[in-house]
Amino acid sequence: MCIRCLELSRRSLLVGGGAAAAALGTGVAEARVRPNDMVPLVGPGYKPVDKDEVGIWQLMERAEEEIAGSNLLINDPELTGYLRNLIGAVGGPAARDFRIYLAHIPDFNAMMFPTGFGVIFTGLLLRMRNEAQLASVIAHEAGHFLRRHQIRSWRDMRRKSDVLAIGSMLAGVGGAAGGVYLGDYVQLAQLGTILSLFQYSRAMEAEADAMGIKLIAENGYPPMEMPTVWQQLIGEERLSARYRNKRRRRGSLFDSHPSPDSRLADLRLSASEVTVPGRGYDSRRARYLSAIGKIRPMMLDDQVKLNDPGASTYLIQTLAQDGWNGLLRFYEGEVWRLRNRPGDEARAAQSYAAAVVYPDAPADAFRWHGIQLLKNGRSAEARAAFSRYLTMKPNAPDAAWVRQMVG
Amino acid sequence: MRKWGLALALALSVPLSACVQMKQYADVQFTPPQGDYKLLVLRPDVTVGSLTTGGMVEPRADWTEQARQSIIAAIHAQQAARGGKVTILARRNELPGVSAEEVAEVERLFYAVGQSIVLHKYLGEYLPTKRRRGLDWTLGEDAVRLGQKTGYDYALFLHAEDQVASRGRVMLGVLGAAGCLVGFCYPNVGGATQLDYAGLVDLKTGEVVWFNVVQASSEIPGLKFGELRTPKGAAQMVDRLLGRMKPGQAVREAQAREKR
Repeated sequence: MCIRCLELSRRSLLVGGGAAAAALGTGVAEARVRPNDMVPLVGPGYKPVDKDEVGIWQLMERAEEEIAGSNLLINDPELTGYLRNLIGAVGGPAARDFRIYLAHIPDFNAMMFPTGFGVIFTGLLLRMRNEAQLASVIAHEAGHFLRRHQIRSWRDMRRKSDVLAIGSMLAGVGGAAGGVYLGDYVQLAQLGTILSLFQYSRAMEAEADAMGIKLIAENGYPPMEMPTVWQQLIGEERLSARYRNKRRRRGSLFDSHPSPDSRLADLRLSASEVTVPGRGYDSRRARYLSAIGKIRPMMLDDQVKLNDPGASTYLIQTLAQDGWNGLLRFYEGEVWRLRNRPGDEARAAQSYAAAVVYPDAPADAFRWHGIQLLKNGRSAEARAAFSRYLTMKPNAPDAAWVRQMVG
Repeated sequence: MRKWGLALALALSVPLSACVQMKQYADVQFTPPQGDYKLLVLRPDVTVGSLTTGGMVEPRADWTEQARQSIIAAIHAQQAARGGKVTILARRNELPGVSAEEVAEVERLFYAVGQSIVLHKYLGEYLPTKRRRGLDWTLGEDAVRLGQKTGYDYALFLHAEDQVASRGRVMLGVLGAAGCLVGFCYPNVGGATQLDYAGLVDLKTGEVVWFNVVQASSEIPGLKFGELRTPKGAAQMVDRLLGRMKPGQAVREAQAREKR
């Protein structure tokens, strides 16, 4: 009809959409949350009062009942007791109210439910180099509870969806009455709503990071260990992508969590902010290793079987920064053996040979070392390795076959 | 004139927009339990929530609790009329001689089997191997063991979820209906929704012998078809879900032959 109209409507569309998004936004900019601004919003023995929160708690109690009875859980009393004590230390005012479950899932994850129970994946325990790192993740999760994030984001979502529903309906009815089509505005408002929900979610994560780093610093863990966790995750993602000839994914507007890169940057600033000069901090590495020691072989075994050689290699090398041992060398070999590209077998053989030198080498290291020796025609040495394997694991499923090989 | 036409069309569409659908399947050899039988009803899985203006479901603890109690009362009343002895578990640890964990295992097993039944019987993923074979699913040995330990003949599993349209949601529908007068007719934003299903397991064989799904929803908020949080609505649901158990195909054919 007219050129001017088009121009006007385009501009007004942008303005309208922006205003809609701004109206729906909560005013939380994507700025770093300062740890010192974070105060817990719940005290000990918190129980919900408002009816929406009571409803969610009832639903979550059912969820906890199912999770607590899941056969994916590791119920070793020493390990679960260790985790409970840890959240009991870094859980702030609600420390004694938290429940924590350890799930046998080889992924880097931990989560907190609205009623104060958390689930930690074994993949997380594998990646943490010391107690301070684990405490920082647990404190982050506790931060979600202490800052009442679940109910706050639920209410935020309810409010925004209400506004959008009424707004769209009014736009439709009003537009029809006035004879204009407002459908494009409605779509923009829809996008604005969705984006603001993701933004709100990222803001909550930033709050939990800030709350968490404050909690670990107060408990005498070196605050710098928290950004290190993210540094390790970024390194792992990068190497995993490179081994698959892909590029590591960067953050987008549709992320529910801030990108690891921005978290790393923010956490480094926060860490220096909460570090008290002259105070002694301890990462309590020895205590951590003795607590997870008995499931570490299982966790490494799960990891190498994920068929993600980039991530596995990075992980093993990261753990080895605190010193190589037989277990890590053996699983380094397993990564190569399972990838099985040209040259990988020789790499694996080297790792197995290195592994058997350490006093903590697992029985399987001797088995695979023996097989590699045999392939290279070094049968006398192979026999010695096999005998060692049989002494360590006389009831191995393949014991009869190996015995026959030894002759 | 045009406005009246629209209003008329709207009035006609109203009865169609709240609908209750039921479909049951039974083992070909199934005869509905009558007379002297012992029925164990596992903890009814009930959730009642409020449908917010924007369409989210807000779980409500008080309504859920009311609904659970009303449903339990309604099942008691109904089964007493059939002559069976009924035990309804309110908690998993209430069954003498059976641990809460074992009860939980059977419940989870039924949940998995029930999902498979819904997928292959209701959602269109029909299995060629199960055609014309009625309901052909089993909980296996676990259910038989539960029967042996407790002496019950049947176990009934029940799931019910209900969403009540909030005042805001109803207003949204009213606004949409008002729009009809200006040509933007959108009253059917979606209102209350209810989904209930139940399965009966023969504890002598472990087989799922009967399964029923009741789905009720109203397109227009404000229209009601029995809310679970009210005793009347709960009784209506129990009647819809469990009231008209039909025998299996083979049994029905035999009955038809006898009549002839």
